[in-house]
Amino acid sequence: MEYKNPEIAEAAKQLKAEFGRLQNKRAILRSPSLTALYGRLKSLSTGTDRANFGKEVNELKKELEGLVKNQISPAIALKPIDITAPFDINISPAQRPGLLPAETGSKHPLMSELEKILDIFAKMGFGAVESRELDDDYHMFTSLNFALDHSARDEYDTFVTDEGLIAPAHTSTMQNRVLKEHKADLEQGKAIAVVIPGRTFRNEDVDARHDHTFYQLEGVYVSQGVHAGMLVATIRTWLSNYYGRDIKIKIQPFYFPFTEPSFEFAASCMFCEEKGCNICSHTGWIELGGCGMIHPNVLKEAGIDAVKYTGFAWGFGIERLVMLKYAVEDIRHFESGNLKFLRQFK
Amino acid sequence: MKVSLNWIRELSGVTAKTPELLEIIGSRLGAIDKVTDVGGRYEGIFIAKVVSCENHPSADKLYVCLIDDKGVVKGVKRNSKGLVQVVCGAPNVKAGMLVAWVAPGGVVPATADKEPLVIEVKEVRGVASSGMLASAKELGLGDNHAGILELDDSAKIGASFAKTYELDDQIIDIENKMFTHRPDCFGILGVAREVAGISHQKFSSPGWYRQDAKVASGRLGLRLEIKNDAPKFVPRFSAVVIGGVKVGPSPVWLQATLGKLDIKPVNNVVDITNYMMILSAQPLHAYDYDKVATGILGVRPSRTGEELKLLGGKSIKLKTGAVVITDGRKPIGLAGIMGGADTEVSAGTQNIILECATFDPNQTRKMAYEYGLFTEAATRFTKRMSPHQNMPVLARAAELIHQLAGGVPGSSQDAKNSLPKPVRISVAPDFINSRLGLDIAEVEMKRLLTNVEFQVDTALGKLNVAAPFWRTDIVIAEDIVEEIGRLYGYEHLIAELPTKNIAPVEKDPLLELKANLRDILAKAGGNELLTYSFVHGSLMQNACQNLQKAYHLRNAISPDLQYYRQSLTPSLMAKVHPAIKTGFGEFAIFELGKGHIRGLLDSEKLPKELEKLALVIASKKPKFGAAYFSAKKLCDYLLHELGINEARYTTIDLDNSTQTPAYYEPSRAAELKVGGRTIGQLGEYRASVRLALKLPQYCAGFDLDLEELMDLVALDRYQPLNRYPAIEQDLCLRSPTHLTYETLTNFVRRELDQASRQHGYKYVIDPLDIFQRDAETSHKQTTWRINLSHFGRTLTTTEANHLFDNLAAAAKKQLGAERV
Repeated sequence: MEYKNPEIAEAAKQLKAEFGRLQNKRAILRSPSLTALYGRLKSLSTGTDRANFGKEVNELKKELEGLVKNQISPAIALKPIDITAPFDINISPAQRPGLLPAETGSKHPLMSELEKILDIFAKMGFGAVESRELDDDYHMFTSLNFALDHSARDEYDTFVTDEGLIAPAHTSTMQNRVLKEHKADLEQGKAIAVVIPGRTFRNEDVDARHDHTFYQLEGVYVSQGVHAGMLVATIRTWLSNYYGRDIKIKIQPFYFPFTEPSFEFAASCMFCEEKGCNICSHTGWIELGGCGMIHPNVLKEAGIDAVKYTGFAWGFGIERLVMLKYAVEDIRHFESGNLKFLRQFK
Repeated sequence: MKVSLNWIRELSGVTAKTPELLEIIGSRLGAIDKVTDVGGRYEGIFIAKVVSCENHPSADKLYVCLIDDKGVVKGVKRNSKGLVQVVCGAPNVKAGMLVAWVAPGGVVPATADKEPLVIEVKEVRGVASSGMLASAKELGLGDNHAGILELDDSAKIGASFAKTYELDDQIIDIENKMFTHRPDCFGILGVAREVAGISHQKFSSPGWYRQDAKVASGRLGLRLEIKNDAPKFVPRFSAVVIGGVKVGPSPVWLQATLGKLDIKPVNNVVDITNYMMILSAQPLHAYDYDKVATGILGVRPSRTGEELKLLGGKSIKLKTGAVVITDGRKPIGLAGIMGGADTEVSAGTQNIILECATFDPNQTRKMAYEYGLFTEAATRFTKRMSPHQNMPVLARAAELIHQLAGGVPGSSQDAKNSLPKPVRISVAPDFINSRLGLDIAEVEMKRLLTNVEFQVDTALGKLNVAAPFWRTDIVIAEDIVEEIGRLYGYEHLIAELPTKNIAPVEKDPLLELKANLRDILAKAGGNELLTYSFVHGSLMQNACQNLQKAYHLRNAISPDLQYYRQSLTPSLMAKVHPAIKTGFGEFAIFELGKGHIRGLLDSEKLPKELEKLALVIASKKPKFGAAYFSAKKLCDYLLHELGINEARYTTIDLDNSTQTPAYYEPSRAAELKVGGRTIGQLGEYRASVRLALKLPQYCAGFDLDLEELMDLVALDRYQPLNRYPAIEQDLCLRSPTHLTYETLTNFVRRELDQASRQHGYKYVIDPLDIFQRDAETSHKQTTWRINLSHFGRTLTTTEANHLFDNLAAAAKKQLGAERV
């Protein structure tokens, strides 16, 4: 580090020499030569000189802190090991590392439930592919018929990197890719049937029911003669299968730029059979996600003939389903790493 | 969007009871967030007349009033003429005025939703008082608390206050998101039209709401010039001068209308602009004409450094890129967002300019974000208001100002660009039915659309649809599908599964591998974690990772979530200390997820998503031997379960590896290789990392690359059973310490392989012990148990001994290792 101010440059030289001699390296941060510089700073009148002086003093202090940090890492003498060996030297068989007891093992509830969900969809004919965690504006918005600068983008509260890349706020960020990849199937008379699980992110306040990071599952179905009633039937069939009982689906109008018409869907409460309980806020219904008929512009953007083919898509959060299934009271448990929570799920 | 159900009923003619209305709005219009029963706040409040008003005998500022309620309230103490005595402190109370009387037992409406203040019969300075005469503020209608609210002469004495002013109402809040594309539904008129439509009733807009409406104008001698110097952002800019305005409080019905929708009454002129906005969704603004000294109302791009004092008194420094309303010289308003304080309409205002403009949605949105002003007007302009409604709204507002504030319109101006042409869509009923899976008759479709004022004619088997001027969202045939489906009722959709091709679904190899790993590690006692993809910069620094290699969020919620993580291990390490603190002594935590390294791109030229498995094993108490071997045990088990048996643990070459995470301690870590490809790293962590993250001494882990693993996963193999007995012998070699276990074992295997090829042996080799005398660190003794067999015959001890003797001789010659 070069210091422009001669006074600081000189002090830096002295301090580094002192550092070499010190037993207790941390003492360098309390050295009179350093504190003197802060004293000098106070005596300078405000202005550019003082600002520059202050900046360099701070840089010097940082440099010294760096030196200290590198030096005082505890030098616990580790004896060398043979990394190719199955166990350490001179360890009796009883002391050798083994696996942990199987009964302490656990799979994350979101992941094991997701596996079950994908399994149901696989039986229904849906393939699966994971969503991205970092994507571009084109896939997150433009390919989904969001007009440039449209206020609909505001609803998503996305995180953005310095480069302008986007932390996807919905798994629909994969729609264009999935449609493109499978469009040849359509010409062979097969449907595009894919579900897309993945992490999604929203810049919003965190509480017991909202987290900035959550899992979504997107579904896409395109073929000839697809209509909105099929969407309802598909969601209903899957949900009933998942909860192991007959679940009714209610759809309400909504707006998404990438579907027309667009809906929100709610499931009949699996706890009270529509009679009304605490879990469904006494409405008998539980809102689960959004869905709709894929907007022709989205199909066209993927090179699919939007006159010949129609399709539907839906998306919902995994956490909500799992919270409902196990009566988990706080969404923040999921990413807490708390073993007391996690070990309850085998 | 807050909506009054009474107002909806009045405009739409729909008479449904509230529960029914809520049901139909919820299912065919949009989700209702909240229902507020305003009427409940006003129970026990009646209109009364102050008959007499005397000074209080022992208080200067209090009055003793006798009021007449026509005897409607029962159980109140009355004098011989049936009048009720109320003590009142308002300076404006006088005999003859009509007031809102909170009868004993009633609640002050402004407090009803928080801590209800119940009015009782009490003595005020020795004089009995039954109830209270209320101010506008106490009634929950704005901020005015200078005196009690004076009611209009037309009010009926003894009537319920709520009924008289339509406060026996329910206010519903419909989710704004539903209306992102529906500018018309940001007005009661639009919502009422929809409610009629979804109730299958015909709606007719009020007579004044016509595209060709004209603003009444006259000669006032007040010059008005308008200048649109930002036509790109202002498709239409219209205004009218109104002279001779008497500014004062609005009539109570108007205050009540605004108040129940949570809009503060200000004065009659401002209240009318707000009323018209709520009704039609079209924002308006009134300027004090005499404070716009030039008689010019301009609109132009802002200039850097210009200042604007907004309504409410806050000053903002403008940057270029905004659009401002000017008096021809300086800014007097932020276009589409908020007016300026200097030209505000106030008590002394005599003449006004009433502006009604259309502003570009994207420009308005940008400005709202830039200046942090998310006003009612901005919300509406960002939804793409139709410029065709400016004239009817302006004309109607001028008319109301004439009625309620006595203003007379003068000259009006209308600067407009080419306005959007009416949208016509030709669509076949079959097209609509095929999208909805329904069988709605053409005539029914036509009826549904004309109910909400679309023009429809049918020709050649098609519906020719013309959208009304306020529907800026109707563009393509699918929009008509939506319209018909929604108005018809989505509850009528027929659930029917698509027919399925019976070909099995191909599994995604990555998802399958992850599920597999999850099972294996859980079986080995591991706990699967999920941790955030975003981490604090200090976590990466503590883990010796270079921040420059991480993607940084420019709008992170908190510093804890500023960077995309490069690998998963640091997140797991951060969970170790908390787990120990909660009482877990020994555990292995793992996560399957993605890492991102800045600059590392994939075939789409997007950041490569590094699919990873990370595992960290930790023990609060030290255990025998290096933790490295604990991690290795798990890793070996994992690889074995996947059928990967050729992995090698090699020395980490820090000089030539950019891939190895720097948190590993090179002397106690290894790189995992299969056939020359690196599949991961395993080891203990650097002392500085352990210290910074409070990791116990006994802690190690690994990172595996899932894409590499995916290619290596092999089928389980079966070894046929042998009919002949095997011979088991232990082999112990004393070798120089520097010869690794791998070198020794490979040597032994080579020898055994050679003999097996020659004689048809099968063998299994297992490590038994590695031993070193304290006094002799230059050498170690390694023992294997070797199980030797032949599938065709019983082996003799002699031939086995011969084999081991040869092996020992070769070991001595080639490795300098002695058999012990």
